[in-house]
Amino acid sequence: MLSFFRVLKFALQDLWRNISLSFMTVFILILMLLSVNTLWSLDVLTKQAVEAVKKQIDVSIYFVPEATEKNVTEIKNYVMLFPEVTDVRVQTKEQVLADFREKHKNQKEALEALDELGANPFGPTMIIKTKEPKDYKKIIDALNVPEYESIIEAKSFDNHEEAITRLQNITNRIERVGFGLTILFALISFLIIFNTIRVAIATQKVEIGIKRLVGASNWFIRGPYLVESVIFTIISVSCTIGLVYLALRWIDPYLAVILPNGFSLTNYFYSNMLMLFGAQALAVLLLTVLSSLLAMRKQLKV
Amino acid sequence: MIKLSGVTKIYSTGTPAVRNLNLHIGAGDFVSIVGQSGTGKTTLVKMLIAEERPNKGTIEIGDTDITKISSSDIPYLRRQIGVVFQDYKLLPKRTVYENVAFALEVAGEKRDRIHQVVPQVLEIVNLSHKASSYPPQLSGGEQQRTAIARSLVHRPKIMIADEPTGNLDSINTEEIISILKKINEFGTTIILVTHNREVVNHLRRRVVTMHGGEIISDEHDGKYKL
Repeated sequence: MLSFFRVLKFALQDLWRNISLSFMTVFILILMLLSVNTLWSLDVLTKQAVEAVKKQIDVSIYFVPEATEKNVTEIKNYVMLFPEVTDVRVQTKEQVLADFREKHKNQKEALEALDELGANPFGPTMIIKTKEPKDYKKIIDALNVPEYESIIEAKSFDNHEEAITRLQNITNRIERVGFGLTILFALISFLIIFNTIRVAIATQKVEIGIKRLVGASNWFIRGPYLVESVIFTIISVSCTIGLVYLALRWIDPYLAVILPNGFSLTNYFYSNMLMLFGAQALAVLLLTVLSSLLAMRKQLKV
Repeated sequence: MIKLSGVTKIYSTGTPAVRNLNLHIGAGDFVSIVGQSGTGKTTLVKMLIAEERPNKGTIEIGDTDITKISSSDIPYLRRQIGVVFQDYKLLPKRTVYENVAFALEVAGEKRDRIHQVVPQVLEIVNLSHKASSYPPQLSGGEQQRTAIARSLVHRPKIMIADEPTGNLDSINTEEIISILKKINEFGTTIILVTHNREVVNHLRRRVVTMHGGEIISDEHDGKYKL
């Protein structure tokens, strides 16, 4: 216990007496963590944006005016059998008419034309949502059968197909590029941190030699650097949490405009804080401890 | 106390540093090891503190053959031997007091004992008034006296001084040698490595002369020959 407190004391003394080097190490660690968090935020935002767009996509099945409730219910039950389908909503012909009138309330000609017809020209409409945009094709194909030809007037999916395919491609590409960037950045960060700590230890090469000469055990020489690694980790992760929090609070109002589903990065940050920063703290700790051990290996050769 | 038998050290470059050294130093001896640069004096010091291991031969300190001790035991050996170097080897960012205390701290000594021993050794070397100064604020003689104080904290039975006066003027040299003599009077074996003719001749103690990695003379009450 006594030796642990001494190691802690030596670590704090070394930190303070090499304050500029300590500051540089922490600064680089913070930069690395901020970059990782930026990538993470972009990934979360991309996923949210894609989800938001996906939610706005659906397939509308327009029935002929003569379609009965029984016909519609039969098709609804059939569609709901597909595991890919998440929601099926039916609008009666009366609701469709009411919606039309509401939508075109300022278009006098349209409403007059409707009145001239005397009867409701619309059939019921079925709105289907699936888990993934690619599932719509399967549903459409399932409805393209002769027995439904006489009651289904039109399907609106064709208009979205190209957009959905493009969206899928963009999402996949962003995920691939994001993953590649994260790997690349982690590698660069590792090299920077490794070299920063190696330089820090190299500058104290003489001191390490003196400590060995007066009979310091390897633990007494290595210990302070390991404790310093823990302190660097705690300071850099804490500062990063603070900076990320402030940045997210600033970004959130702008996001609220872009993402209409009320998504908040700050809330996401809160609910995943332990996992996100725990993983980052662990990674930084491993990085700094590993760098210290590698850098000291040469100096500790007796 | 110290017994070297057939000690040979050849570095990886193939250069033989010392060859077939046989030397016996008794407890309480004051031995000067002299010789020109490159004769193997520093290699001998490094082997005595287990910084280098010989290729052949044995080095016994007390009952222990230090050529066979494990790496984890080396720190314990070094705590039993006081070592002083020409370049002082002080920790520049620690005060005089901290430099001296450090040798006790790494040995796991309790704080009370440290507070008791450090002022005592600083008084022996007449540096009590400089306890809170940092090495760069001291003169060469004061830095060397700090190094001697540090080497004394474990009350070593052996003290090795490798060119301790190499960077000092004649007044400081005299002061350092008189401190070493005083330590020797307390019963500590002193091994002084030097090529300072005046110091050796003035001491009139045992002189071991090295040349080309070998011992060419070993005389009690000797003089500097080369």
